[in-house]
Amino acid sequence: MAVTGGAERPTDDAALRERFERDVLPMLPNLYAAALRMTRNPSDAEDLVQDTYLRAFRGFSGFTEGTNLKAWLYRILTNSFINTYRKKQRQPQTVEGPDDLDEWYLFDKLGGRNVELSAETEVLDKIPDEAVKSALESLPENFRLPVLLADVEGFSYKEIAEIMDTPIGTVMSRLHRGRKALQRALWDTAKERGLIDE
Amino acid sequence: MSDCGPDCLETLREIERFLDGELQGDLRSRVQEHLSGCNPCMDRAEFRRHLKAMIASKCTGDQPPPELFIRVRAVIEERDVSGP
Repeated sequence: MAVTGGAERPTDDAALRERFERDVLPMLPNLYAAALRMTRNPSDAEDLVQDTYLRAFRGFSGFTEGTNLKAWLYRILTNSFINTYRKKQRQPQTVEGPDDLDEWYLFDKLGGRNVELSAETEVLDKIPDEAVKSALESLPENFRLPVLLADVEGFSYKEIAEIMDTPIGTVMSRLHRGRKALQRALWDTAKERGLIDE
Repeated sequence: MSDCGPDCLETLREIERFLDGELQGDLRSRVQEHLSGCNPCMDRAEFRRHLKAMIASKCTGDQPPPELFIRVRAVIEERDVSGP
Protein backbone atom coordinates (compact mmCIF):
# COMPACT_ATOMS: atom_id res chain seq x y z
CA MET A 1 0.00 0.00 0.00
CA ALA A 2 1.26 3.47 -0.88
CA VAL A 3 2.16 5.51 2.14
CA THR A 4 3.91 8.48 0.63
CA GLY A 5 3.10 12.00 -0.48
CA GLY A 6 0.43 13.38 -2.75
CA ALA A 7 -2.59 15.56 -2.22
CA GLU A 8 -4.74 12.63 -1.11
CA ARG A 9 -3.13 12.38 2.32
CA PRO A 10 -2.92 8.60 2.31
CA THR A 11 -2.36 8.38 6.04
CA ASP A 12 -5.68 10.03 6.79
CA ASP A 13 -7.37 7.87 4.19
CA ALA A 14 -5.88 4.76 5.72
CA ALA A 15 -7.06 5.78 9.18
CA LEU A 16 -10.52 6.53 7.84
CA ARG A 17 -10.70 3.20 6.08
CA GLU A 18 -9.54 1.40 9.17
CA ARG A 19 -12.20 3.13 11.26
CA PHE A 20 -14.82 2.31 8.63
CA GLU A 21 -13.84 -1.34 8.67
CA ARG A 22 -13.87 -1.43 12.44
CA ASP A 23 -17.16 0.42 13.05
CA VAL A 24 -19.28 0.09 9.94
CA LEU A 25 -18.50 -3.30 8.41
CA PRO A 26 -19.70 -5.31 11.44
CA MET A 27 -23.17 -3.81 10.93
CA LEU A 28 -23.62 -5.61 7.64
CA PRO A 29 -25.86 -8.40 8.98
CA ASN A 30 -28.19 -5.85 10.63
CA LEU A 31 -28.33 -3.73 7.52
CA TYR A 32 -28.98 -6.78 5.37
CA ALA A 33 -31.89 -7.91 7.55
CA ALA A 34 -33.38 -4.41 7.44
CA ALA A 35 -32.81 -4.23 3.68
CA LEU A 36 -34.66 -7.53 3.27
CA ARG A 37 -37.66 -6.18 5.18
CA MET A 38 -37.59 -3.09 2.96
CA THR A 39 -37.09 -4.65 -0.47
CA ARG A 40 -38.67 -8.02 0.32
CA ASN A 41 -36.30 -9.96 -1.85
CA PRO A 42 -32.69 -11.09 -1.32
CA SER A 43 -31.28 -9.85 -4.61
CA ASP A 44 -32.55 -6.27 -4.15
CA ALA A 45 -31.52 -6.39 -0.48
CA GLU A 46 -27.95 -7.25 -1.46
CA ASP A 47 -27.83 -4.42 -3.99
CA LEU A 48 -29.31 -2.04 -1.46
CA VAL A 49 -26.72 -2.96 1.16
CA GLN A 50 -23.87 -2.59 -1.32
CA ASP A 51 -25.23 0.77 -2.43
CA THR A 52 -25.56 1.85 1.20
CA TYR A 53 -21.95 0.91 1.92
CA LEU A 54 -20.76 2.76 -1.15
CA ARG A 55 -22.57 5.94 -0.10
CA ALA A 56 -21.56 5.53 3.52
CA PHE A 57 -17.91 5.07 2.61
CA ARG A 58 -17.93 8.11 0.37
CA GLY A 59 -19.56 10.20 3.07
CA PHE A 60 -17.66 8.76 6.00
CA SER A 61 -15.18 11.61 6.27
CA GLY A 62 -18.16 13.88 7.00
CA PHE A 63 -19.36 11.67 9.84
CA THR A 64 -18.40 12.92 13.27
CA GLU A 65 -16.92 10.16 15.37
CA GLY A 66 -18.80 9.62 18.60
CA THR A 67 -22.18 10.67 17.21
CA ASN A 68 -24.97 8.27 16.30
CA LEU A 69 -23.37 5.96 13.74
CA LYS A 70 -26.28 3.54 13.59
CA ALA A 71 -28.83 6.29 12.87
CA TRP A 72 -26.46 7.81 10.30
CA LEU A 73 -26.18 4.47 8.47
CA TYR A 74 -29.89 3.73 8.58
CA ARG A 75 -30.58 7.15 7.17
CA ILE A 76 -28.37 6.31 4.21
CA LEU A 77 -30.03 2.89 3.91
CA THR A 78 -33.52 4.39 4.03
CA ASN A 79 -32.70 7.12 1.54
CA SER A 80 -31.13 4.64 -0.86
CA PHE A 81 -34.17 2.44 -0.57
CA ILE A 82 -36.62 5.27 -1.13
CA ASN A 83 -34.68 6.77 -4.03
CA THR A 84 -33.78 3.61 -5.87
CA TYR A 85 -35.58 0.46 -4.93
CA ARG A 86 -38.94 1.92 -4.18
CA LYS A 87 -39.23 3.26 -7.71
CA LYS A 88 -38.26 -0.14 -9.00
CA GLN A 89 -40.90 -1.89 -6.95
CA ARG A 90 -43.74 0.30 -8.19
CA GLN A 91 -45.68 -0.13 -5.03
CA PRO A 92 -48.56 2.29 -4.61
CA GLN A 93 -47.41 4.88 -2.08
CA THR A 94 -50.69 6.32 -0.93
CA VAL A 95 -52.14 3.20 0.61
CA GLU A 96 -54.78 3.98 3.18
CA GLY A 97 -54.06 2.85 6.70
CA PRO A 98 -56.07 0.46 8.78
CA ASP A 99 -58.22 3.11 10.42
CA ASP A 100 -60.99 0.68 11.17
CA LEU A 101 -58.78 -1.34 13.49
CA ASP A 102 -58.56 -0.99 17.23
CA GLU A 103 -55.09 -0.85 18.70
CA TRP A 104 -56.09 -3.73 20.98
CA TYR A 105 -57.14 -5.88 18.05
CA LEU A 106 -54.81 -8.78 18.78
CA PHE A 107 -55.17 -8.60 22.55
CA ASP A 108 -58.95 -8.66 22.29
CA LYS A 109 -58.96 -11.40 19.68
CA LEU A 110 -56.68 -13.64 21.69
CA GLY A 111 -58.05 -12.59 25.06
CA GLY A 112 -61.62 -13.07 23.88
CA ARG A 113 -61.03 -16.77 24.29
CA ASN A 114 -61.00 -16.45 28.05
CA VAL A 115 -57.49 -17.62 28.60
CA GLU A 116 -54.65 -16.51 30.80
CA LEU A 117 -52.29 -13.83 29.53
CA SER A 118 -49.54 -16.44 29.34
CA ALA A 119 -51.61 -18.45 26.85
CA GLU A 120 -52.04 -15.36 24.70
CA THR A 121 -48.36 -14.60 24.57
CA GLU A 122 -47.67 -18.29 23.92
CA VAL A 123 -49.63 -18.00 20.69
CA LEU A 124 -47.38 -15.12 19.66
CA ASP A 125 -44.27 -17.12 20.44
CA LYS A 126 -45.47 -20.02 18.32
CA ILE A 127 -45.73 -17.95 15.15
CA PRO A 128 -42.65 -18.93 13.11
CA ASP A 129 -40.03 -16.28 12.35
CA GLU A 130 -40.73 -16.46 8.63
CA ALA A 131 -44.41 -15.72 9.21
CA VAL A 132 -43.65 -12.70 11.38
CA LYS A 133 -41.26 -11.39 8.74
CA SER A 134 -43.91 -11.87 6.05
CA ALA A 135 -46.48 -10.11 8.19
CA LEU A 136 -44.19 -7.12 8.59
CA GLU A 137 -43.35 -7.14 4.90
CA SER A 138 -47.04 -7.17 4.02
CA LEU A 139 -47.49 -3.67 5.44
CA PRO A 140 -47.57 -0.72 3.04
CA GLU A 141 -44.15 0.90 2.98
CA ASN A 142 -45.07 4.12 4.80
CA PHE A 143 -46.21 2.02 7.77
CA ARG A 144 -43.62 -0.71 7.44
CA LEU A 145 -40.59 1.57 7.73
CA PRO A 146 -41.52 3.17 11.07
CA VAL A 147 -42.43 -0.22 12.58
CA LEU A 148 -39.16 -1.71 11.34
CA LEU A 149 -37.13 1.20 12.68
CA ALA A 150 -38.91 1.36 16.04
CA ASP A 151 -39.69 -2.24 16.94
CA VAL A 152 -36.93 -4.15 15.18
CA GLU A 153 -34.09 -1.64 15.22
CA GLY A 154 -35.02 0.12 18.44
CA PHE A 155 -34.73 3.70 17.23
CA SER A 156 -36.42 6.53 19.12
CA TYR A 157 -39.18 8.62 17.50
CA LYS A 158 -36.73 11.47 17.07
CA GLU A 159 -34.17 9.24 15.38
CA ILE A 160 -36.83 7.80 13.07
CA ALA A 161 -37.97 11.30 12.17
CA GLU A 162 -34.40 12.14 11.20
CA ILE A 163 -33.81 8.87 9.36
CA MET A 164 -37.03 9.22 7.35
CA ASP A 165 -36.87 12.99 7.08
CA THR A 166 -40.43 13.16 8.37
CA PRO A 167 -42.02 15.22 11.17
CA ILE A 168 -42.12 13.37 14.47
CA GLY A 169 -45.93 13.56 14.63
CA THR A 170 -46.13 11.76 11.29
CA VAL A 171 -43.76 9.11 12.56
CA MET A 172 -45.94 8.52 15.61
CA SER A 173 -49.18 8.25 13.68
CA ARG A 174 -47.70 5.93 11.05
CA LEU A 175 -46.11 3.80 13.72
CA HIS A 176 -49.43 3.55 15.52
CA ARG A 177 -51.32 2.60 12.38
CA GLY A 178 -48.56 0.29 11.20
CA ARG A 179 -48.65 -1.61 14.45
CA LYS A 180 -52.39 -2.05 14.17
CA ALA A 181 -52.03 -3.42 10.65
CA LEU A 182 -49.28 -5.73 11.82
CA GLN A 183 -51.53 -7.08 14.57
CA ARG A 184 -54.13 -8.00 12.01
CA ALA A 185 -51.53 -9.61 9.75
CA LEU A 186 -50.21 -11.63 12.70
CA TRP A 187 -53.71 -12.73 13.64
CA ASP A 188 -54.37 -13.85 10.07
CA THR A 189 -51.13 -15.79 9.87
CA ALA A 190 -51.64 -17.42 13.26
CA LYS A 191 -55.12 -18.51 12.20
CA GLU A 192 -53.92 -19.80 8.84
CA ARG A 193 -51.34 -21.89 10.59
CA GLY A 194 -53.84 -23.37 12.98
CA LEU A 195 -52.17 -21.85 16.03
CA ILE A 196 -55.54 -20.63 17.26
CA ASP A 197 -58.53 -22.83 17.73
CA GLU A 198 -61.60 -20.67 17.54
CA MET B 1 -61.06 -1.29 27.54
CA SER B 2 -60.44 -1.80 31.19
CA ASP B 3 -63.59 -1.03 33.12
CA CYS B 4 -62.14 1.56 35.44
CA GLY B 5 -61.87 5.31 35.35
CA PRO B 6 -59.93 8.14 33.77
CA ASP B 7 -56.60 6.78 35.00
CA CYS B 8 -57.07 3.66 32.89
CA LEU B 9 -58.01 5.75 29.89
CA GLU B 10 -54.95 7.92 30.29
CA THR B 11 -52.68 4.91 30.75
CA LEU B 12 -53.99 3.07 27.72
CA ARG B 13 -53.84 6.23 25.63
CA GLU B 14 -50.17 6.65 26.52
CA ILE B 15 -49.19 2.98 26.64
CA GLU B 16 -47.53 2.88 23.24
CA ARG B 17 -45.29 5.85 23.99
CA PHE B 18 -44.67 4.49 27.48
CA LEU B 19 -43.48 1.14 26.14
CA ASP B 20 -41.38 2.90 23.51
CA GLY B 21 -39.58 4.76 26.27
CA GLU B 22 -40.89 8.06 24.93
CA LEU B 23 -42.73 9.32 28.02
CA GLN B 24 -41.02 11.57 30.51
CA GLY B 25 -41.68 13.30 33.77
CA ASP B 26 -45.01 13.31 35.57
CA LEU B 27 -46.90 11.51 32.83
CA ARG B 28 -44.42 8.66 32.86
CA SER B 29 -44.63 8.38 36.65
CA ARG B 30 -48.43 8.44 36.58
CA VAL B 31 -48.59 5.65 34.00
CA GLN B 32 -46.02 3.61 35.88
CA GLU B 33 -47.87 4.05 39.12
CA HIS B 34 -51.22 3.23 37.61
CA LEU B 35 -49.89 0.05 35.99
CA SER B 36 -48.51 -1.23 39.26
CA GLY B 37 -51.96 -0.99 40.83
CA CYS B 38 -54.25 -1.98 37.95
CA ASN B 39 -54.14 -5.57 36.76
CA PRO B 40 -56.27 -5.18 33.61
CA CYS B 41 -54.06 -2.33 32.38
CA MET B 42 -50.93 -4.23 33.38
CA ASP B 43 -52.11 -7.26 31.37
CA ARG B 44 -52.54 -5.07 28.32
CA ALA B 45 -49.19 -3.41 28.83
CA GLU B 46 -47.45 -6.75 29.28
CA PHE B 47 -49.10 -8.10 26.15
CA ARG B 48 -47.94 -5.14 24.09
CA ARG B 49 -44.46 -5.34 25.57
CA HIS B 50 -44.31 -9.02 24.67
CA LEU B 51 -45.59 -8.35 21.15
CA LYS B 52 -42.94 -5.70 20.59
CA ALA B 53 -40.18 -7.97 21.86
CA MET B 54 -41.45 -10.87 19.75
CA ILE B 55 -41.38 -8.76 16.58
CA ALA B 56 -37.86 -7.59 17.36
CA SER B 57 -36.53 -11.08 17.99
CA LYS B 58 -38.22 -12.74 15.01
CA CYS B 59 -37.52 -10.14 12.34
CA THR B 60 -33.75 -10.28 12.54
CA GLY B 61 -31.04 -12.85 12.06
CA ASP B 62 -31.22 -13.17 8.28
CA GLN B 63 -27.84 -14.48 7.23
CA PRO B 64 -26.26 -12.38 4.49
CA PRO B 65 -24.73 -14.44 1.69
CA PRO B 66 -20.91 -14.61 1.85
CA GLU B 67 -20.65 -12.88 -1.55
CA LEU B 68 -22.17 -9.77 -0.05
CA PHE B 69 -19.23 -9.37 2.31
CA ILE B 70 -16.92 -9.66 -0.67
CA ARG B 71 -18.90 -7.09 -2.67
CA VAL B 72 -18.92 -4.66 0.23
CA ARG B 73 -15.20 -5.12 0.85
CA ALA B 74 -14.63 -4.34 -2.80
CA VAL B 75 -16.49 -1.06 -2.32
CA ILE B 76 -14.15 -0.11 0.47
CA GLU B 77 -11.10 -1.17 -1.44
CA GLU B 78 -12.43 0.94 -4.30
CA ARG B 79 -12.29 -1.85 -6.79
CA ASP B 80 -14.74 -2.18 -9.61
CA VAL B 81 -17.96 -3.34 -8.05
CA SER B 82 -20.26 -3.02 -11.01
CA GLY B 83 -20.43 -6.79 -11.27
CA PRO B 84 -19.84 -9.20 -14.14
